Amino acid sequence: MHLIYLLLKDSQPYTERELVNLLRRREQAAFSYLYDHYSSALNGVITSIVPDTHIAGDVLQEVFVKIWRQIDAYDPAKGRLFTWMHSIARSTAIDTLRSKDFQNSKRNNTLTEDYTLLPDRSQHPADDLGLRKIVQGLKEEHKVLIELSYFQGYTQEEMAKMLNIPLGTVKTRLRAALLQLRQKVNV
Amino acid sequence: MIESYVLGVADPQEAAELQRLSLEHPEIAAAIEECEKWLNTSANAGAVPVSANIKQALFNSLDAEFNPATTAAKAPGRRVSIALRYLTAASLLLLIASAGLNVYLYKQYTRAANDYIALQNERNTMLADNRIYQTRIDGMYQQMQIMSAPGMLKVSMPGVSGKENNLVTLYWDTNTKDVYLITNSLPKAPAGKQYQLWALVDGKPVDAGMLEDCEGLCRLKPVQKAQAFAITLEKAGGSPTPTMDQMYVLGNVRS
Repeated sequence: MHLIYLLLKDSQPYTERELVNLLRRREQAAFSYLYDHYSSALNGVITSIVPDTHIAGDVLQEVFVKIWRQIDAYDPAKGRLFTWMHSIARSTAIDTLRSKDFQNSKRNNTLTEDYTLLPDRSQHPADDLGLRKIVQGLKEEHKVLIELSYFQGYTQEEMAKMLNIPLGTVKTRLRAALLQLRQKVNV
Repeated sequence: MIESYVLGVADPQEAAELQRLSLEHPEIAAAIEECEKWLNTSANAGAVPVSANIKQALFNSLDAEFNPATTAAKAPGRRVSIALRYLTAASLLLLIASAGLNVYLYKQYTRAANDYIALQNERNTMLADNRIYQTRIDGMYQQMQIMSAPGMLKVSMPGVSGKENNLVTLYWDTNTKDVYLITNSLPKAPAGKQYQLWALVDGKPVDAGMLEDCEGLCRLKPVQKAQAFAITLEKAGGSPTPTMDQMYVLGNVRS
């Protein structure tokens, strides 16, 4: 049996269903597979929100622990596994961004005073990374909404208040912004 | 709005609405899935490598939570399919080899079985022959007893002139008067003809019996008195008087 495992290691990909079932059964090999296949993609998402590599590493660990422990809460009927993991990664990164420790941490030195939450003065060190870089190429009114909602976690209502525009306008602009984004990132 | 739902920036109300719609309309569900795949792909495109110690630290911290029973198990379906393939191939090979061996052994077996039957037949034949030989040996032993019995007179009957190559030996029991003879050298009687024994009693020939196809010692008619014996070739069944020019052997009785 062990010999067969060695023969099969990494030779065949799991289907999502197999993977989820094995994770639910607490199989280490399945979790290892999950990490190997998704950690760098999730890391990209995390670093686009929290650029410091050391902190991002901590966040990534925390994200995978959450995934491991909350796998029973994942409902395949509601979407793909990656979408669920991406959601955990983004929310954990944003939580870290807002945590007091982060705000007060000396590691904040990597971020300049210019890093404010107001769109017209925002400069983000991760501007040249992946999705964020593409967002930079969008129209200003689109860019700001994506920046605030996706990268900083503000709700549509909060954005409407912050930007002093009606909620309906926020919805319409966000919709357009994301469509633009999708077209640009047509991989 | 599908993109905001997938990216996670939709209102809770928007999200619930979209979920409901996707259950009712498969094309919406399909569109959502397409968007999810796009999210996955673009995330891969923006992937940032992770330093190796992170994985180590992660697995160390979760060590107690892993299932210890089958840490090396993969989806059984996968493993079975590969192992099953090898197993099937090996089994098939073994089956073919075994079938070949069976054919060969069966041929050997039928040959051996036939040989055995043939051998049995041979043995039976030999046994039968043995019995025959035994009987003949017993018969000859008896004949030897007869010939060497006390009171048995031996009369040698050499071939007459012109027929010198012939020889018959006659045994006359002086007590019982039985007559026996052995044809040492006498040509086989032609078809329709038979040899006949004559006892010469006071100058007159007396029929003493026909020579049958006997093995070894032949027994003929008893003779009370005779000075000589002769054998002539007569027609089958015999003749009341001898055909003198058909005499083959003649022997005088020594007194």
